[in-house]
This record gives sequence, structure tokens and C-alpha cells, in this order.
Amino acid sequence: MNLGRAWKIAAREFRLGPRSPLFLYAVFLPLAISFLISAVFGGLLEPEARLGIVDLGESELALAAQELEGVSVSVLEDADDLRARVERHDLDAGIVLADGFDQGVSAGEQPDLDFYISGESLASTRIVLAVTTTEMVREVAGEEPPVSVSVTSIGDEGYVPLGDRLLPIVVFYAVVIAALFLPASSLLDEREKDTLSAVLVTPTTMNEVLLGKGLLGVLMGVALGVMSLGLNQALGNRPLELVAFLFVGSIMMAEFGLILGALVKDANSLYTAIKGAGIFIALPVIFIIWPTLPQWVPKFAPTYYFLQPVYEIAVNGARLRDFGVEMIVALLICLALAPILLVVGRRAEIRLAWA
Amino acid sequence: MNRDVVGAIVRKDFVTFTRDRFYLFITVLGLVAFVAMYWLLPSSVDETIRLGVSYPSGQGFLGPAAEANADELSITVFPDRGSLYAAIEEGEQDIVAGIAFPAELVGGSAPVELLVPAGVPPEYLPLMEGIATQAALFVSGDSSSINLATRTVVLGTDRVGDQVSMQEQMRPLLAFFVLMMETLALASLVSVEVQERTVTAVLVTPARTRDFIAAKAVLGTILALAEVLLLMILIRGFVGDVPVLLAALVLGALLVTGVGLLAGSSGRDFMGVMFLALALMIPLMIPAFGALFPGSADAWIKVLPTYGLVEAIVGVTTRGESWSDVAPALFALGAWCLILLGLGASILRRRVETL
Repeated sequence: MNLGRAWKIAAREFRLGPRSPLFLYAVFLPLAISFLISAVFGGLLEPEARLGIVDLGESELALAAQELEGVSVSVLEDADDLRARVERHDLDAGIVLADGFDQGVSAGEQPDLDFYISGESLASTRIVLAVTTTEMVREVAGEEPPVSVSVTSIGDEGYVPLGDRLLPIVVFYAVVIAALFLPASSLLDEREKDTLSAVLVTPTTMNEVLLGKGLLGVLMGVALGVMSLGLNQALGNRPLELVAFLFVGSIMMAEFGLILGALVKDANSLYTAIKGAGIFIALPVIFIIWPTLPQWVPKFAPTYYFLQPVYEIAVNGARLRDFGVEMIVALLICLALAPILLVVGRRAEIRLAWA
Repeated sequence: MNRDVVGAIVRKDFVTFTRDRFYLFITVLGLVAFVAMYWLLPSSVDETIRLGVSYPSGQGFLGPAAEANADELSITVFPDRGSLYAAIEEGEQDIVAGIAFPAELVGGSAPVELLVPAGVPPEYLPLMEGIATQAALFVSGDSSSINLATRTVVLGTDRVGDQVSMQEQMRPLLAFFVLMMETLALASLVSVEVQERTVTAVLVTPARTRDFIAAKAVLGTILALAEVLLLMILIRGFVGDVPVLLAALVLGALLVTGVGLLAGSSGRDFMGVMFLALALMIPLMIPAFGALFPGSADAWIKVLPTYGLVEAIVGVTTRGESWSDVAPALFALGAWCLILLGLGASILRRRVETL
């Protein structure tokens, strides 16, 4: 095998790749998913209570409210606007602070406080906002709390925020689309358009073509995997250990991709095969998101042996040496796939010769 | 347009669709997965915050706080801090956090301890502090110097105890996903006919281009509508004004058929078609995702083609709306159907005529 020729194939893939929509898809999908997870699902599954405030004087309460943790506070100009937003459930609750509210509270008077609650807000949100407002008023009035409070955290170690548990989805899509889909569709495209036959009449062999296309997948898989982790601030203290698993995972996915690209009859079948196998290869992602599910199940999926270590290193600060067995299994899968790839590549070459 | 010819093309395409067993299997699998996902989602909303408290000096010290409305706050009293701590750690009785009161609540030096497991929303802390304060005031017999003239108003329909569940929120999204699946199938069917030029074989028969386009539109609409109706039956989605819901689903099927024709006739190859179809689907998904969030949609979301579909499904199934309420949404949806079907048909016509 001539590595120089394989590299030329890979270089050509990189040069022509950006013309393909799939190439752009591979680059932009991790970006889009990162955005969705952080902006959409983070807020959807861990929603904040939303409080609106109209301050008709210059109350300190409006300022104190904006410092609250876990409550999204909007300061509005107009009480009618506040009521309309609360009614539409754009806010869970709203308060209108009358002019001179702070002075009235401090002087022990009985200032007006209009508290509007959205009919669609949860009962739990209502009580949180009502009690929080009362506590803020107490603070503004300078009333000493009758008791002091200390906070004790319980069981911090095992808790992983939902946003972090969704991280494997981003890595999964980055590596699978780039390392599996790109070489698969590139090989299939060349077979369908018969440009592969043209390449094979030169001194370039089928194995060099496979290696060149595989290189494209592996490099893109690693690059997009690193980019996805970086975008989610999950590169941590051991980026090289992450890269090691991303590298092995990308090789594995590229091999699967090339086997598919050599085997399937057309793009429709390729798409359907990936769609059909999707649940199987995405299995580890599901079990990371729901850690209470039995954790032996995803070990049947080959993607487990790189996704689980990447997740543990990125999120839980694990080390490469903690996942020695997973690394060995991942390498064995890669080794086992190599002869299968050579055989299906050879058969694809023979089919082309007979066509 | 020749109705017999259109019928013949539809039958041919339907046979082609059902002959691809794998594609059919994946379609059924997708439908089963959506239905299973729906039934796995929570069918009710838990609005209650469950707190535990311990007070070594005995029960009954909490005063008014202990009589909190069960809809919003449930307080379980434990005999000592140890049992409260264990209950939170083990997640017993769904208690999310705890307040451990010292033996001498008033005048003692020990603080009130808030036991907070990881993942508890930060807004619960002021709530717990508020309860501790109320309890201290009750035990001491003092009253707060804070005296407010609070007017509490619930705006809109009060849904406490009758909140929209996750299942109900997911209905429009699931319906949209099923419609989208059919968009991809139709786009693929159209692109294969164009790229493999089988359309030219169809057009040497008495069939005209308009018959071909009409047949694709009819097939796409029937397939999309059949699947979405099946989904709605399986998730018991036909609640409220069923004729309005049916009208919305028919228009939704027509809309995605327009998108399918557009994508199928515009892409260069299969991958290009898939990319284009997905790119078109992303903005169309936004209103369905938006329905998962509380509050009204932004103005820019309201102009998206699928907003009318989502608004009609949500309005009928969760707000009990009728024709007059959702007419503007259906009208906008109908207008988008005309635009997209017209655009898709005209591009397909041009593509077919240039073959």
C-alpha cells in the first residue's frame, strides 16, 4: 500500500468535501445541537420561575430581585403591560410596587402591594414567588430575621446537571455524522457516479481509496468531536485523553461507514440503514441521560466504548487509565472490523469490474 | 387533469412504497417509537413542593406553615435531624429538601439548618428561609413588623390542579415529527423519479406533467394524513372539537407535501434532497418546540408556516377552543399550504420539463 497515494485521496476529499451539503451538515449539526441543548432544552427541563416587577417609585426591592438565583426577573414600565404578560403566562407572577413603597415598609405603614399570578403558573411556583417576595420585602425593610440559617449540601458527588448529561448527544452526532456518514456517502457517491472505476484504473488500489476516505472521516470526527466539547466547555483538564478516545471512536465509525458505503446499493439504502441502526448506535447516549436505567445494556453497542469514557473524562474528571478495558475493547472492535472492510472493499471492486 | 391517470400513478407509487419492506419497517418503527415515547411521558403535573422538617422539641410548632395548601407545599415532620437527612438522601416520600430546626428555635445560638441535595432549584432556598422565619415567629409569639396591604389577583383561567401535562404539550410536536417523516419519504420518492428519469417513462403514456405532480401531491397528502391520524388515535389525541382538529391535520399534511415536493425537486442528488428537506424542516419545527414552553410565541414565530397547525392543535386539545377561536390560525395555515404547494409544484414542473 502506498501511503502517499492514500493521502492524496484524503486531500482530494478535503478539497471537494465542502461542496457537498453533507459536509456542511456535519460541521453545522454539532453547532446547532449545542445551541439547542444549552438554549432550549436546558431551559425547558430546568425552568426558572418568572417574576415581573413594575416599580412606580425607586424601590430597592426591584434591584434586590434581579440578584435572585433561580428566578428570572423582568422589570417593566407599565402595570397594564405587566398584567397582560401575566395573563398570557409570559410571566408566572408580577408585582406592582407603589411609589414610596420602601419608606412605607420601613415606617411600619401598610403600603400597597399588588401581586398578580398567572392562572397557568404552577402552584409550587406561586408559593416560591410569594415567599421570595415576602423575604425580599423583609430584607428591604431592614428587619432582622428571627433565626440564622446555615445550608448543608447532601450528596453532591453523584449529581450531574442535565445539561452535562446531554453532552454525549453532541459528541455522538459530531463523530457519527463526520466519521461514519462522510466516508460512507463519499464512497457510495463514487460508486454510483462511476468515478471510483476511473480512480482504480490508475495505480491507486481499493485499499488506498478506503484508507484515504477513512482518513477524512477520522480527522473530521476528531476535529468535530473536539469542537463540540469545546463549544460546551467540556474539554476539561485532560484534552489529550479525550482526543485519544475520540480518535479510536472515529476510526471505529469510519470503518463502519466504509463497510456500509461498499455494501449498500444506493443512497436511499444507506440512509435507511443508518436510520435503522441509529437506535443501536445511540444506545449509550440514552443510558447516560437516564443513569437509573440498567447500565449493562449499552455495553452491547460498540459506541459505548468511546462515548462513555469521553463523557466520564469530560464531565466527571475521570482518567484514561480508568477506562483501560474500554480502550482495549474499542481497539479490538477496530481490529476486527479491518478484515471485514478489506473483504467488502475487494468485493465492491470486483462488482465494479464486472459492471 | 385526468383523474384515472392520477389514480394510476398514485397506486403505482403506493405499491413502490410498500414494496420497500425495510423502508416500511422503519416507518412503522418510527411511529411505534413516537407512540411509546408519548405514553412514557408524565400524564399529570406534580405541582407540590415536598419538604421535610425536624424539630426535636416536638411537632405542631410550624403554625400556619404546616397548614399550607397541599397543591403547593407538603411538609413532612421527622423526629430528628438524622432521620430527616436519611430521608432526603434516600429520596423517601419524594422529599426534595429539609429544614432541621435546633432544639431552641428562638434565643438559641444554633442556626436553622437547610438540608439541600444537589439539583434542588436555587429558588427553593428563600422558600425554606421563609418557612423557618414563619416558624420562629410563631414559636416566639412575635409578629413581623412587615405589614403589607397585599392584593392577590389570579389572571386568566386558574389551572391549579389541572395543568397541561407533558403528554399534552408533546402532541403537536409528535404530530409534526410524523408529518416530517412523510415529507422526507415524499422528497425521496420525487427525487428518485427525477434523477433516475423514470418520470420520462411515465410521461410517454397519456399522463401529463400536471397529472404526475398531482399524483405526487395526492400520495404525499394521503400518506402523511394516514400516519398522523393513526398517531393521534394511538395517543388518544382526538379530544375537544374533532372536526377542527381534522381540518388542521389535513392542512398540515398538505403543507408538508408542499415542502416534500419543493425539496424533492430542488436537490441535486439524494443527499442534497435530504439536506434540503431537513434545512426546510428546522424553521418549521420551531413553533412545535415553542409550544413546549410557557407563554405566548414571539411575533416572528407566528409568521412561520407551521404556527397555525400547532396553534390549532394546542387550542383545540388543551384550551378547548372551537372553529371561531382557531379560524385565523387555520386561515394562515391554508395560505401557507397554497404557497408551498404552488412553489413545490412549479419547481417540479420546471425540473420535469427540462429532463
